Amino acid sequence: MAQLESNPRGIPKAPFVGKVEEFTPETELESTLKKFQEMIAKYKYMEGHLLQRKQSLESKIPDIKKTLDMVEYLIATEDSTEPMLTQYELNDTLYAHAKIPSAKTVYLWLGANVMLEYSTPEAKTLLSQKHSSAKTSLEQVNEDLEFLRDQITTMEVNTARVYNYDVKLRRQRKEAGGKE
Amino acid sequence: MKMLNQDEEADTEVTWEDQQNINSFSRLNMKIQNLEDQYEEKKKEKEYLDDLSSELELADEDDLVKYRIGDAFVSLTLEACQQRIESEQEILSKDLEEFSSKIDGITDSMNKLKVVLYKKFGTSINLER
Repeated sequence: MAQLESNPRGIPKAPFVGKVEEFTPETELESTLKKFQEMIAKYKYMEGHLLQRKQSLESKIPDIKKTLDMVEYLIATEDSTEPMLTQYELNDTLYAHAKIPSAKTVYLWLGANVMLEYSTPEAKTLLSQKHSSAKTSLEQVNEDLEFLRDQITTMEVNTARVYNYDVKLRRQRKEAGGKE
Repeated sequence: MKMLNQDEEADTEVTWEDQQNINSFSRLNMKIQNLEDQYEEKKKEKEYLDDLSSELELADEDDLVKYRIGDAFVSLTLEACQQRIESEQEILSKDLEEFSSKIDGITDSMNKLKVVLYKKFGTSINLER
């Protein structure tokens, strides 16, 4: 097979079969088909992996957005003298009343059991960045998925054509054999 | 999508261009399904907000409304509440418009591709969902 090109994330491009008879010698049809199957399986594996990533990003983005919403609300009410009245989730499905005097700092959970104090504007910047970078990676994942879809389609068409060519050859051989 | 190149020896040659068309069609097909799902989701959200805003018309003006921001409920005045809902509705309407115009665009190009591909491959190709 000729040298394979790849997309920006290093996913190899599927080979295109122009004319089957030129692409593969008659004796190697079966091994070619097998190779194609293998490649499709590999592409599907990558697709599954990416779909998982997509799902995790799709659940992460609204999470970040929620936190961002709250920080933005805190910033908007920063100058109010009234304390903020809230019912917050003390535990799953358990809420408690709280009065919060205008908050200038918040604590962000950074993961790995680390929490850090941020001023509200800093928190907003950080969360916005996370939000947009998560969106960018989601776009990239979608791009990759589209690219993969292209390659899978190409390979499926290739497979169908090599297969059909094989069937045709066999029949011709049979017909030729019958005449003798 | 399957090629149904049966025994009829309709040995139409597949050129690189055809392959590109088939790929685009398949890709668009995937894209439109995603978009339609997202569209439905947003539409539902918008309906909820619409219900909410009409419900709030009936609320007492002096009452504080417990409005959900993030994971907590915040007591907001009715007015502040309605403002928030309004701005969210606006964003959603914009999103919905964007989605539906994207969907229209994709449907358009899919139909164009269908014409081209059916013309070339006839019954050997199946492009329906």
